[in-house]
Amino acid sequence: MDLQNLNPSSLKSRFTARFLRALTEINAPKTISSSSPREIFQRYRRIKVAADKSMAYSVRSRRIWSRATLWRLRTRSRSRRLVSFGRRASVKTRTTASHGKENKEHHGAVLGVQAEELRELVPGGEAMDLCNLLDETAHYIKCLTTQVQVMRTIANLYSIE
Amino acid sequence: MENRFFLDAGIPPLHFGSSLSSSPMSDWQSLSPVMETQSQDCFPTDYGLQYESALSSMVSSPAASNCNMSSESLMMSTPLNSPPKLNLPVPKSMGMNSGVADFSADPGFAERAAKFSIFGSRSFNCRTTQFGPKDNGEIAACRFDPSAANVKLPRVSSSPAIKTLAANSQEESTVSKQHPEPGFKGPNSRKRKAAPKAKTNETSPSPSPNSSKVIKPNEASNEKRCKLSESNENENGSGKAVEEDANGSNTRAPEPPKDYIHVRARRGQATDSHSLAERVRREKISERMKLLQNLVPGCNKVTGKALMLNEIINYVQSLQRQVEFLSMKLATVNTSLDFNVESLMSKDVFQSNNTLQHPIFPVNSSAFLGHQSQQNPPLHGNITNGTMTQCSVDPLDSAICPKLNTHLPQINQFIKTVPQYPTFCEGDLETLVQMGFGQNQSQEMALHSQNFQGSNQVSDMKVEL
Repeated sequence: MDLQNLNPSSLKSRFTARFLRALTEINAPKTISSSSPREIFQRYRRIKVAADKSMAYSVRSRRIWSRATLWRLRTRSRSRRLVSFGRRASVKTRTTASHGKENKEHHGAVLGVQAEELRELVPGGEAMDLCNLLDETAHYIKCLTTQVQVMRTIANLYSIE
Repeated sequence: MENRFFLDAGIPPLHFGSSLSSSPMSDWQSLSPVMETQSQDCFPTDYGLQYESALSSMVSSPAASNCNMSSESLMMSTPLNSPPKLNLPVPKSMGMNSGVADFSADPGFAERAAKFSIFGSRSFNCRTTQFGPKDNGEIAACRFDPSAANVKLPRVSSSPAIKTLAANSQEESTVSKQHPEPGFKGPNSRKRKAAPKAKTNETSPSPSPNSSKVIKPNEASNEKRCKLSESNENENGSGKAVEEDANGSNTRAPEPPKDYIHVRARRGQATDSHSLAERVRREKISERMKLLQNLVPGCNKVTGKALMLNEIINYVQSLQRQVEFLSMKLATVNTSLDFNVESLMSKDVFQSNNTLQHPIFPVNSSAFLGHQSQQNPPLHGNITNGTMTQCSVDPLDSAICPKLNTHLPQINQFIKTVPQYPTFCEGDLETLVQMGFGQNQSQEMALHSQNFQGSNQVSDMKVEL
């Protein structure tokens, strides 16, 4: 029970605070009886969005992927009526993507396929050259691991209670 | 960022070029013929002349620097008035003196002397006060400051100035161009290097005013503008590419790692700007891949960019799926919970986060499962622990997948959609299902059946996705 390791401005604490707040908001109006699969599924979606959003907000706009995530979430909420529920509303900027491909081929087509996959995985990765993409990937991995840790701990704690 | 590195390395800042004024230079230029005549006896003809003018220009550049200008000029002026030996121009350049003496003997010495002279000119700023009161004779006696030389050698060797000095015919131009080099930040010197690299051997006019003129546009440039600066440097262009190639083998070792913009054309490598930029890019990418290798567990054995990228892709995918699963778990778990425990939980979250931190990073995703089972012995029943330990044996082993498939047939369809790191997902789903049981047993909810159906149907709904 040592709180000295706590860094109030670390990524983990920022994310945890935001995520818990979001969780309370999500779970507040629900009552115990609302456990139908559809409800659970909706809540799952909301929690997932809340997790991504709180992580992106914890990183602010310092990273391309966080900006892309926030932008994507906002446009998705806006275009939710128009776009079907399961489809991604991500916009690929063709010019920048082609520019990225140019760099790829110039550097070596060996990494082209994997770089493409990585671009799809990392939000906002379509518009980045390989060098920045690797940078963003490193930070994204770090944030994802933090997210996973915190969520797992929360889930475990909840299941204890 | 790179500039910061340069500054931290103790290189005199860019004020060199900005503070370069014409007056001290003109003084020096007027004095240079004096020095030349005086030093004629020391040198062979071609080396001597060029070296002298180079010396004068180099000397004048530190003189123009913003620190201790008066003392420098004073020191420089006194040596000039003193006897004809070349000890004068700069106390720093005492290395040059002895180097100059040997200069005639050996071209290799020329190289070294060039390096040391650069040290002299470069270290001039910081060492002015130190050397001020010293006698010129004493300075001439000692060859040069080895510590300063050693300290500065790595950085200087990476600058184009050395290589230019070591050249033969274009020495004058290169040397004159070189004196602003030591004071410059990385991009500028790199730019200088890259710009002439694209050119063939050109004869050099390059009196110092010319180079000073070039300094200012160089200051504002960055990596991408090397081609723009080429036009500025055209008249000063010398056969730097050739010299650098020749010297690349000699001075290859101490390329400062932080100086990623500095590109040295190694022996036998193309020196045009395109391939240089390519090389810089490749080095950047490999640097980042190394960083990623540290982040992604289990990547130490993997060699090669393609395999590394595959590993990274798999890892990112697995992390994203873990987030999804955990959010699903939270969605199901929290249905029956009261949120009054949030405050308690926040404290516990941080503490268990801290405990989680260390074991989470070891090596592969088996750590996730193993640690989870460690953390929750009181949590789940032996059932979950059993499945967890099964998962933790070797999560990457696909042999486990069929085993787990048989255990939970309703998850089969979902398992097919999971390409990599499958066992964690299955384990999580199992805990999800069984948690419904455990929860209900502990809380004796009437929703026992509902929860079970809910979690099962949740997994089915996942399949639909």
